[in-house]
Amino acid sequence: MNRGISSETPLIEMSNGQKKFGLFQALTNIDLTINEGEIVTLLGPSGCGKTTLMRIIAGFEALSSGSLKIDGKDVAALPPEKRPVNMVFQRYALFPHLDVFDNVAYGLKVKGVAREERRSRVQAMLKTVQMESLAHRFIGELSGGQCQRVALARALVNGPRVLLLDEPLAALDLKIRQHMLAEMKRIQMETGATFVYVTHDQDEAMILSDRVVLIDRGRIVQVDKPQDMYFRPRTLFAAKFLGETNLFEGKAGASSDGQILLQTPDGPFDITAGAVPMGGAHTAVMSVRPEAMSFRRCASQDDHELEAEIDDVIFSGSRSFFHLVSRGGQKFRVQVQNLPGAELPGTGDMVHVCWRKDSAIILQP
Amino acid sequence: MLLKAVVYAVLAYLLIPLVVIVLFSFNAEQSFSFPINGYSFRWYALIFQDPQLGQALVKSLMIATATAIVTLVLGTAASLAWLRLGRFGRSVLEILCITPIALPGLFLGVSLLVLAAQLGVRLSMVTIVVSHVVLSVPMLMIAMRARLALFDRTLEEASRDLGASQIGTFRRITLPLIAPTLISCAILSFALSFDEFVVTSFVAGTETTLPMYIWSMMRRTVTPLINSISTLALLFSVMIMAIGFVVGRFKRASALSDRASS
Repeated sequence: MNRGISSETPLIEMSNGQKKFGLFQALTNIDLTINEGEIVTLLGPSGCGKTTLMRIIAGFEALSSGSLKIDGKDVAALPPEKRPVNMVFQRYALFPHLDVFDNVAYGLKVKGVAREERRSRVQAMLKTVQMESLAHRFIGELSGGQCQRVALARALVNGPRVLLLDEPLAALDLKIRQHMLAEMKRIQMETGATFVYVTHDQDEAMILSDRVVLIDRGRIVQVDKPQDMYFRPRTLFAAKFLGETNLFEGKAGASSDGQILLQTPDGPFDITAGAVPMGGAHTAVMSVRPEAMSFRRCASQDDHELEAEIDDVIFSGSRSFFHLVSRGGQKFRVQVQNLPGAELPGTGDMVHVCWRKDSAIILQP
Repeated sequence: MLLKAVVYAVLAYLLIPLVVIVLFSFNAEQSFSFPINGYSFRWYALIFQDPQLGQALVKSLMIATATAIVTLVLGTAASLAWLRLGRFGRSVLEILCITPIALPGLFLGVSLLVLAAQLGVRLSMVTIVVSHVVLSVPMLMIAMRARLALFDRTLEEASRDLGASQIGTFRRITLPLIAPTLISCAILSFALSFDEFVVTSFVAGTETTLPMYIWSMMRRTVTPLINSISTLALLFSVMIMAIGFVVGRFKRASALSDRASS
């Protein structure tokens, strides 16, 4: 993930940020540092405050309290036009009365960059986003993906320290979305700008980011690399929001060798990893990803095993999804990679399901 | 089939009176009866022999121009405010603005006359323009509302984000985008003012506008001169609208060719 262009120099620093709209607390206790050259996604369900956070960085909203520094300077008093950030808007917000070239040139023109320099910088940027041939089209004559490229170029041509992207791919269909994700990574590498990317789509967040900032109801829940966020979620919300997972509920207690022992209707499971306070019995949840499970007898002490009946099988090309019910009545899903000629169990079969202990995480409900 | 017939019937209903007037304006005889026995320009020639008519026309043109300009300035300000208001503020502003045309012109005329008397203002061209503005601003608000609802305010945010100040954003983004709406609204208020009669008759004092002059002519005798004047007025209105249309087209075409050459 680390492509060697991000450094440890903090570029955006928010501390104890609060935002209220009337009585509604949109953001609570936001402490966030974004380093130079990073791609950071603000991820969360709609209405969680991620767009508000981005609009505060851009300068369209002000913090109710707390401080925001960009490049070491407090920007509370700076209007949007004076901040070293540029934004790509959700519906692009391209100027319909200007053509592609003039849209991209807008920022430079407003800042009084000389005609010749303006021209060469715009042309170079149009080349980067592969839109040179359409420079004189009007915005109404472009497709969604092309609008996206123009919006990126219009923001990046100004050489911003930070590029803010507000769900930039939400309006595109799936194929173009995947292509644009790869394009955005390439463009970020070429320009070296810091990207702050708002999305509610966990796939986009994981594909694109160096770090993911997970937000729920106005609070930052977890900040981590995508792999760590996926494999080591610290809350039940994080486990459920990123990818799919199976949750086994039970009573947690400390076992003799310092591990956590979870008592479930399907028997005890001993778990090392997780964020649950030790000592005293209390309700807890074990999370196991469907792809971590497989149909086999356990081979070693490092595995968990469960007996279950197959309720349904869903074939989806490269993978199959099995819906199972355990002896203890627990419903869960197993994901299996399909290989030619492989024999898989069918509906109604009793099977042994096995997973490595270290792929199980224990969380507080 | 039936739908088509209805459409033609409605069009005929709207256009036949106009056709009749235009036809009779070329009638060689004094009478208003079919069939027409001969064509001539005598009624058009008569227009130019009536100096009072010319004076009334010039006054109406001046008043309509002033009304259009004042309405345009007020309308631009009102539309900018409208764009920045929430749903509640928008409805309040709309109700306040639209009330004057919901009132019968008679009441509006009387109340403006009373107001002028209370304030001790002498009735003149100025009072006529003021009353026409009162009438045309609501029309403008109605015409503008639908089109401004489509205006995307994130365009203004994008402009600020790219480094333009508030004034720069208005000049480069907001104004060019709302200009076509404003121009067509100005033309509309010009047309409204040009043929306004009811309210004008209350606040005109000793002034005589074209509609008032025509009305006073009709009181004496129904002369075919009315037909030729109306036809010219119609031609004038159509021309104004055509100019508005052509200017819009021309601006876009020249913008396109500018870019092609740069």
